[in-house]
Amino acid sequence: MTSSPSETETAAVHPLQEYADRVAAAVGGDGTVTFDTVKVRVPLERWVDALSTARDELGLVFFSWLSAVDWSSEVEVGDPFPEPVEDRFELLAAVADVSEGRRVIFSTDLEKETPAAPTLIEVYAGANWHEREAHEMFGIHFDGHPNLIHLYLPDQFLGNPLRKSYPLLSREVKPWPGTVDVEAMPGSDEGTEDEGAEDEGAGGDGAAADAPSEENPEA
Amino acid sequence: MVLDQDLVRHLSESSVSVELDTEDMTLNIGPQHPSTHGVLRLKARVDGERAYEVQPVIGYMHRGYEKLSEVRTYPQITTLVNRIDWVSGYANEIPFIVAAEKLLGVEVPERAQYIRLILTEMARISSHLIFMASYPLELGAATPLFFALRERERVLDLLEGVTGGRFHPNFNRIGGVKPAYGSGSATRKVIQDLPAGFLAETRDAMDKVVEAVDELNQLVADNEIIVARTKGVGVLPAEVAVAYGVSGPNLRASGVGFDLRKVEDYLPYHLFDFEIPTGENGDCWDRWHVRLLEIRQSVRIVQQAIDGIPSGPLQAKVPKVIKVPQGETYVRAENPKGEMGYYLVSNGNQGPYRLKIRSASFSNISILPWILEGVLVPDIIAIMGSLDFVLGDVDR
Repeated sequence: MTSSPSETETAAVHPLQEYADRVAAAVGGDGTVTFDTVKVRVPLERWVDALSTARDELGLVFFSWLSAVDWSSEVEVGDPFPEPVEDRFELLAAVADVSEGRRVIFSTDLEKETPAAPTLIEVYAGANWHEREAHEMFGIHFDGHPNLIHLYLPDQFLGNPLRKSYPLLSREVKPWPGTVDVEAMPGSDEGTEDEGAEDEGAGGDGAAADAPSEENPEA
Repeated sequence: MVLDQDLVRHLSESSVSVELDTEDMTLNIGPQHPSTHGVLRLKARVDGERAYEVQPVIGYMHRGYEKLSEVRTYPQITTLVNRIDWVSGYANEIPFIVAAEKLLGVEVPERAQYIRLILTEMARISSHLIFMASYPLELGAATPLFFALRERERVLDLLEGVTGGRFHPNFNRIGGVKPAYGSGSATRKVIQDLPAGFLAETRDAMDKVVEAVDELNQLVADNEIIVARTKGVGVLPAEVAVAYGVSGPNLRASGVGFDLRKVEDYLPYHLFDFEIPTGENGDCWDRWHVRLLEIRQSVRIVQQAIDGIPSGPLQAKVPKVIKVPQGETYVRAENPKGEMGYYLVSNGNQGPYRLKIRSASFSNISILPWILEGVLVPDIIAIMGSLDFVLGDVDR
């Protein structure tokens, strides 16, 4: 049991970068470190091979989770990126060891129209449920999955809720957090004027909507 | 009279396979069965007294937190993540808040970190005490429930005193913590701190918890029926556990001495001296015993933290409207149930672009089809209970 890995301390380069490079070289990908998170991007055709290598040669035997990110410039819910992003699904699989605390997130890009990836069940048995979840939430097809049915959602459910193109109906009906029923807190002006209210799509009452979440969540 | 065990086994097997013509039956357990800790349904094919092809059906509690997070601001999301594993709501907040702080580059004051750590360990104690209460009950022993719940109340009262909430504290703010009680109204800029006497009362409560854990141990370990129903039942080998992502006490019971508190830096655990209890066989008994030992370790951590807690502010300086800069990070923490993590993708706005919630119970019960294959029907309850899952943590 060691504390967090920090054997290669050099200025400017993150201490985990060397580990990221080593993993990337072993699996034939590209390793980056952002905010203490090691991420290795691999091409889709090396997806299963890369994770087999991670398990067998790098000791990353613990299957933590698998999910996806819908990178879209056009979003129905939430806020879009300030500048356009490349439209794609990013498939993520987080694996770790159970000795030193190493963890790596493997990532690969899937095209937007008919996203599909090979299943990881043969490598990590635990991928089964995670892939079912990614299938129903993002509409990603996993080739070779033995039981690709809904996990959380009812059988009749249509659509893929976590896609950015899928609207959140309750929010369509009533904007939330409500701009109607909340009064401005005393002295909330000076804190919000420089941050601006331009992100509130409805505009106008952004300052009133923001203040209670910070100052008085029970309001 | 001493029965020859081999003979008994032989007789029972022959009577089933030769004399009786058995027929497969589909057995539905749940979603309202009391021992499923919420709404979990199991479909099993039952042949005689044994269950095969057990399929958990989940989703009755699915609340779509990952989607909801995309339309809420960071301070609002702590109220959601409280409700993932409601038995230890406080502990759920920590990795999320730490992920946001990591992207923001906020340094949390030391006193706030200590308070977070103390309350996280108290949440662990209360979560494990619920297990100590409910697991013997599922095996037919009602008495331990009262011992465990009495101590849990003690811990929850203290948690409530600081945070204002027993289950859903909503206590962490980006950059620090915000006690409910202090002085002055929420709108006035006043210094708030822990309630007077909290640390001394917590120290007393911890002593009492340790005593009660010893009592519980006597009640359960000396009970031959419980021992017979748990020893050697539901054995989970470590290789299988890691492939399914089983974490926390369930993994440690299988002999893997791995604890995220020792390898991650989301809270200053490296300052404290504690051990990682592990089991040997990975059976139901070990899963019970590991949690019992973990309560003692948590008590140790809390006592050390009370001794060493520094004074100072509880909140770092952060803007009133928090916009988290663009970036991606994954922060995981050792929750009472296992690894809880948040993969946070921010696009520079007041809410996340994407928040993937990795909850411990989800992976922990994905082992059910494997571990329940071919077990006796009464053992289904013993094994499920020993995995200590919460359906809110499964369904998110």
